[in-house]
Amino acid sequence: MDMETVTLSAEARAVAERIRNLRDYLELLAEHGQCITWPETVLPEPDIRKVVVAAGRDAMAGPAIVFDNIRGYPGKRLVIGVHGSFSNIALLLGKPKGTSIKELFYELAGRWGSDKPLINRVKPDDAPVHENRVEADINLYDMLPLYRINALDGGFYIAKANIVSRDPRDPDNFAKQNVGIYRIQVQGPDKFTLLSVPSHDMAQQIRMAEQDDVPLKIAVMLGNHPAMAMFAATPVNYDESEFAYASQMMGSPIDLTQSGNGLDVLAGAEMVIEAELLNNKRCLEGPFGEFPGSYSGIRHVPLFRVTAVSHRTDPIFESIYIGKGWTEHDTLIGLSTCAPIYAQLKENFPEVVAVNALYQHGLTGIISVKNRFAGFAKSVAMRALGTPHGLMYLKNLIMVDDDVDPFDLNQVMWALSTRTRASDIIVIPNMPMVIIDPAAEIPGKGHRLIIDATSFMPPDPIGGDAKIVSPPTGPEIDDLAKYILRLQKEAEGR
Amino acid sequence: MNCPRCNSAQEHLRTEYQGREGDELVWTVFYCRRCSFTWRDSEPAESIDYAEREAWFRADPDHPEKYKHNIPPADGN
Ligand SMILES: [Zn+2]
Repeated sequence: MDMETVTLSAEARAVAERIRNLRDYLELLAEHGQCITWPETVLPEPDIRKVVVAAGRDAMAGPAIVFDNIRGYPGKRLVIGVHGSFSNIALLLGKPKGTSIKELFYELAGRWGSDKPLINRVKPDDAPVHENRVEADINLYDMLPLYRINALDGGFYIAKANIVSRDPRDPDNFAKQNVGIYRIQVQGPDKFTLLSVPSHDMAQQIRMAEQDDVPLKIAVMLGNHPAMAMFAATPVNYDESEFAYASQMMGSPIDLTQSGNGLDVLAGAEMVIEAELLNNKRCLEGPFGEFPGSYSGIRHVPLFRVTAVSHRTDPIFESIYIGKGWTEHDTLIGLSTCAPIYAQLKENFPEVVAVNALYQHGLTGIISVKNRFAGFAKSVAMRALGTPHGLMYLKNLIMVDDDVDPFDLNQVMWALSTRTRASDIIVIPNMPMVIIDPAAEIPGKGHRLIIDATSFMPPDPIGGDAKIVSPPTGPEIDDLAKYILRLQKEAEGR
Repeated sequence: MNCPRCNSAQEHLRTEYQGREGDELVWTVFYCRRCSFTWRDSEPAESIDYAEREAWFRADPDHPEKYKHNIPPADGN
């Protein structure tokens, strides 16, 4: 297929060109009241946790919060909730705050498939991230306001980093460079453990390095361009660069430079921690409050040693709250989980209208589809289970018609109430499953659920004559809804 | 002071960092070399008091075989 750079609206283009790093994005958010500085002094624990959980309750409009007055960490800055609400995501995509999730979904889905990577190379001497360099007496506590995210985590985590690594057997190959999100637990002033899923690129690289007894060098990027955090978790093929992908989705160049240990890193990152694997060394890691809302256990996990740190002057430590949903983690990866499933389904089934896989990384998904004949939606559901993400994650699938907005749960409940027969509920037993699903009887294996809540179609004889009320819909009604909100605001001000 | 998670004695603990404001010592971060637990002495009891912490969250460094390997080391140790 012949694809090129996505066509962006004028507003989206202006934002894409303006935002080159985290600071640019925080400035944009602040202009719209979507980034605030916490006015009081906080203790690292439990104050930060309490504030960010409260802010995270508003999935549509919660702000990013900067803490610049943390007891015992004078002069240090922390930001949480940067991707914490759909209004923040809307502003990144050049849309007004308050834009509906469905509209954001179509904006992202429209950007999917562009294959023009826009990489801008910056010399290390000119890269903001190298403004300050620490190569001796490294103490991470001296550089970052580290804190405990959930009360019973096993330690202090760096939970929103993008980690760059290369194939240790082919370290000069740019195409085999991997950028991923892995949780990092600080294990001393200059040590940390990094947990990777055994099937992921990073785990393969760790195995290779230890089998061949060769070095594995990595770069931990902190405080990144907001597109990196959003898209580095999206599964791309081993030979595709996540940097290229993030730039394609933003429709603007990503500034890359070299880290001291020879990896490509974001030139505008707040901090890059360079580290190397301590081959065959392991350290106890965990528990950590993970995205399904439960703590993972303790494991022996590979240990890394920090070799150098580069950082911008007065770096901002970007962190995230993860735990029982809704949290920033759900907003951060929600739409970029939906978009590839939608694109992959569309290849076989153009009847697919929208995919809502926002819930816990897609453990529950809702797919709307133009129904063609009785049972059709079930076939689409089966195909969804075979997509790369569906394979492990899509545990519960609800299929709805094209007259139901899968992002509007009231509408989804209407479909469940009026269009579901108990015999349209399918359980597929003993399927692969993501290992941290707390509902699993055996970690890594479980059952899948498909609820077909689409309408009855021929040759189905039952209920075929249900005449649906068609309330007025479309832009006119959307505008009226906004007008009513304005009238309410005016009435309140009077 | 013992480790809040595995109850190991003082000799197994390491001081990681002291948070200061001017001349005032605000808190200290400790690390247990036996179970890898990290904590700050200013945290609430639910996180750093061995007696108050839920038993499930304790660690048993005398029996490392209780804990799974994320990626088994290539040298088999
Ligand atoms: Zn301990």
